[in-house]
Amino acid sequence: MLRKEQNDYLTQTDPGTPMGDLFRCYWMPALLSEELPEADCPPVRLKLMGERLVAFRDSEGKLGLIDEFCAHRGVSLWFGRNEECGLRCPYHGWKFDVNGQCMDVPSEPAESGYAKKVKLKSYPLIEKGGVLWTYMGPPEKQPPEPEYEFCTVPLNQTFMSKRLQETNWLQAMEGGIDSSHVSFLHRGDLSTDPLFKGAAGNKYNMQDLSPVFEVIESEGGLLIGARRNAEDDQYYWRITPWVMPCYTGVPPRGDHPMHGHFWVPIDDHSCWAWSYDYHPTRALTDHEVDSMKAGKGIHVRYVPGTYRPLANKDNDYLMDREAQKAGRTFSGVEGIGMQDASLQESMGPICDRSKENLVSTDNGIIMARHRLMRSAKALVEKGVIPPGVDPEHHKVRQAALLLKRDVQYKDGAKEALKAKQGVRQTSV
Amino acid sequence: MQSESARVTTAQESRFRVQYPNSRQRAVKVIALDPPSAEMIDELAKKEWKGATFFRALSFASDAEPGKTDAGLSAWLNDLAGRALDLVSEVASSDFIVVVSAAGEDARSVSVIADACTAHHKTLLAIVVPGEGASDADVSASMGHLRPYARMLVIAHDADYITAMLTALRA
Repeated sequence: MLRKEQNDYLTQTDPGTPMGDLFRCYWMPALLSEELPEADCPPVRLKLMGERLVAFRDSEGKLGLIDEFCAHRGVSLWFGRNEECGLRCPYHGWKFDVNGQCMDVPSEPAESGYAKKVKLKSYPLIEKGGVLWTYMGPPEKQPPEPEYEFCTVPLNQTFMSKRLQETNWLQAMEGGIDSSHVSFLHRGDLSTDPLFKGAAGNKYNMQDLSPVFEVIESEGGLLIGARRNAEDDQYYWRITPWVMPCYTGVPPRGDHPMHGHFWVPIDDHSCWAWSYDYHPTRALTDHEVDSMKAGKGIHVRYVPGTYRPLANKDNDYLMDREAQKAGRTFSGVEGIGMQDASLQESMGPICDRSKENLVSTDNGIIMARHRLMRSAKALVEKGVIPPGVDPEHHKVRQAALLLKRDVQYKDGAKEALKAKQGVRQTSV
Repeated sequence: MQSESARVTTAQESRFRVQYPNSRQRAVKVIALDPPSAEMIDELAKKEWKGATFFRALSFASDAEPGKTDAGLSAWLNDLAGRALDLVSEVASSDFIVVVSAAGEDARSVSVIADACTAHHKTLLAIVVPGEGASDADVSASMGHLRPYARMLVIAHDADYITAMLTALRA
């Protein structure tokens, strides 16, 4: 349970809010590389943390992320012409470079220097692992580039998708660290989804529906261990890392690629659910990539031409009561991503946490909220750099493994939880 | 026509969610397993709580056999006023139990509390607070003591977390 003012504190990320300041300490996924595929391609408009922006790749391939609206009369530069190393407003021809600097005001003599005095707000945009990342904080505090393993392996080993989720970022992210729902909501998919099925560990999920949890603070966030009984005096552990503020990793299954999410606020009522899949030591197979593109695993199928899920609130998520009754799906909604999103959207755009009744197994969520609030407060009041900014904090892995019952997972899985180049994931 | 899912998930429609108290007050018993934890919960108890009460396990005075006290289970707990209380009846009247252990301290008395929880079907939640100077081995040892009994085990470097957790659980 959170008081209303605490809920507001955590869910509001517009400029000038404490959580907005916190998010602006990090590199965040902004766009897929495929959205700006080549020099002088059409610009893309987007909103991040309550700021309307437009992104483009100029004639030399340089990336820009600038205020969406022309400084002259407020026209959207999405209508702009991306040409000759700048984005030109189609209304009166003002032109801006990737840094937002006005390059040309056709109605004024070039020699007047008028253009030099006009600059749009801009943010750095970098390309890494098939993702265009931005940092929207103070330039003097820009951290080193992100080092999450999914964006540092060769491109043929990684796959990223994104989907629009019509909720606040926090309830989406909280789903990512809530391991106890898997045995219910996603149970139908463990044995059928091509990116999940066949793993030896799946049987433990199905045999033991009451996992026991251990939550440990890590340098960058949390480690949430869920243990289930296994044979030979062992526990089956599934360990979920959360890196502040919004990165989560799903413990792996067999040799399937490892997956997880970023939950990036668009505004207070919507977010981008980024979904990665990667394998640390091998290229993804054609079958795996085809399955991901077909919306299997944690990915979704789209409304054509958009990143909105095909199953969405407008069509009641294509609810299939027969599949629910037959047990093919637990909720009647197909696909792991939309099973989560449909329920989270049903909470409303911002979940009213003053009415919730958490239980002891929700301690991962409670601890995450606590760390977020504590870190935002320390940042705003004392300028303390929050956990998860240091790229070393990104080098964490999810893991699934069997350990003797007297072994602590923080000790027994210590090496398994480190991202190591060329080393296979630890998985059952 | 707009789907029902689209309609009910709007901010405007949120105001039609039925407003009423959807749960009753919970009785949460918080038990310190060792002297440093007792200091922590002394401070915690000064805050305003709805249904949380705070105790010390008397057994931490007993070196010989953890969990045992001279008076047995009928005088196994101390409330903060120093009155000896019956462990079993306190557990029986709770909704769930929280035990707090400082890393490196002897947490073996948790087994007695766990037995009472099992007998009365109560959830036991354990928090280890490492504290300054606690080593990784200390934390591991505490976790080892608590793991067999706790439904949820949390390592909280910040003692404020206990407050946050109890508040979140409506204690």
